[in-house]
Amino acid sequence: MALIQLEKASVEFSTRRFKNVGLKDYLLKGLFRSRVNPRIVVRALQDITLTLRDGECLGVIGHNGAGKSTLLKLIAGVYPPTQGRCIIRGKVAALFDLTLGFERDASGWENIRYRAYLLGETPRTLQGKLETIAEFSELGEYLEMPVRYYSSGMIVRLGFSIATAIEPEILVVDEILAAGDASFREKARRRMQEMIQQARIAVLASHDLKSLEGFCSRILWLEKGRMQMLGPASEVIDAYCQHYGTPRPRSQAA
Amino acid sequence: MSVRALPSEVPARPVPAAVQAVADYFYQIWRRRYFWWSLVKIDLRTRYRGTYLGLGWSLLNPILMTMVMCLVFAKLFHQPLATYAPFVLSGLAFWNYLTGIVMDGCHSFRRGEAYIRQHPAPLAIYPLKASLVVGIHFLMALVVLLGTVWLARGTVPWHALWLLIPALGLFAVLGWTTALVMGVVNVWFEDTAQLSQVVLRALFYVTPVFYDGEMLHKHGLGWVVDWNPLAACLDVLRAPVLHGQPAPLSAYGFLAAVALAMIALAALLLWKVERKLIFYL
Repeated sequence: MALIQLEKASVEFSTRRFKNVGLKDYLLKGLFRSRVNPRIVVRALQDITLTLRDGECLGVIGHNGAGKSTLLKLIAGVYPPTQGRCIIRGKVAALFDLTLGFERDASGWENIRYRAYLLGETPRTLQGKLETIAEFSELGEYLEMPVRYYSSGMIVRLGFSIATAIEPEILVVDEILAAGDASFREKARRRMQEMIQQARIAVLASHDLKSLEGFCSRILWLEKGRMQMLGPASEVIDAYCQHYGTPRPRSQAA
Repeated sequence: MSVRALPSEVPARPVPAAVQAVADYFYQIWRRRYFWWSLVKIDLRTRYRGTYLGLGWSLLNPILMTMVMCLVFAKLFHQPLATYAPFVLSGLAFWNYLTGIVMDGCHSFRRGEAYIRQHPAPLAIYPLKASLVVGIHFLMALVVLLGTVWLARGTVPWHALWLLIPALGLFAVLGWTTALVMGVVNVWFEDTAQLSQVVLRALFYVTPVFYDGEMLHKHGLGWVVDWNPLAACLDVLRAPVLHGQPAPLSAYGFLAAVALAMIALAALLLWKVERKLIFYL
């Protein structure tokens, strides 16, 4: 059984005005003094309490900087909660920025291998999937080339094909529904839909309210790192649109 | 399953729990072996891709340096080339390992940043990858060294080569932990790599890389090599390869103590920053 349980979970980024300084500057300019180099605390998420069980799909909405990505990274295990508790049970696959984390001098094939290994595949389980990944990416013989020479669209295709080839129990997706050109986007959409249906729990952050309403049973509305509203998809979207005075998008189902 | 909580919320653990945590950490590293091993392979393959000599390039530096040093110091120290060439090459091979560990170690977490930001994995795998790449270069240099010994003396002390196993084991532990410590410090202070280059250059002259440590003893500077772990590293490498005998037991003991201290330091740093390093990147 997959489970996501957050209890008053908060994530605070504590940083300083001069970050990533050298030891020389640190000592000579006295950056160790808090007066010179004050601590800046960013409360990216505060008091998030949330339980998701098998079969649930949660949408996360909110403006830029509301904490959507931080919440997803908390669930994916990238960030620890700085306060509260975060219990995650199940194999998590996270789709964040798909263009990140490529070894640029390595070929497409090599990148498929090690990225799949990072996602928990082994040479044996990957054997059957290599062809599927290559086929889905439609990159053909470009896969022999170093990724350095890929266009950004090709990189997104490759990243998406790898990330969606595994079968996670918990799927975490950050604004991914717009990947690649029009034909690939349609294909990616269908793939995404399949994955969401196959995963036991899915958490999707997006600005695309229409798609979210189609996928998600519940929606969490974040506002400055706090939970503004959590409830059935249509109710939260109604309230969200009303609050910002934007026209209500029609759900796909309707 | 993973349960995450603040370190401060974790009650003081009895010893078995700590052992369990360490075992679990190593299991997590082992579980991702395909990932870091393929990063090692990609690094080795792409670093010299499209070059004539391939991996051989990495050997050019110690070989050329050895030739230059032989030209000057063999004369200066009144040493026959057949003795001095393998001596210097062994010193430089180790020195390249050391600088590689320090430099690649410094950059290990920054190079892994894209992965650290996307997937939770034990942080120690990034310095591990760095030290494996450097270590493979070192093993290749070791082969060249044995070839040089054979050329210079007409024979290789095969019977003593098993003594390289404890030496390489110590180097591996020291390499991984040093890379990890340097990596963490470099995240805190980003000029660490530059500063350590200065320190390494100074250390080069107080370590018997190109001169015999005995010379210092004669001039009352014996303590410089006696208390230098790098000199002990050279001892455990040179004794079997050049003299066909084990190094003094004290050298192994000294290095084992240093290795334990480095393990403790690395473990302490990991315990402090494992979850938090991402906020500093």
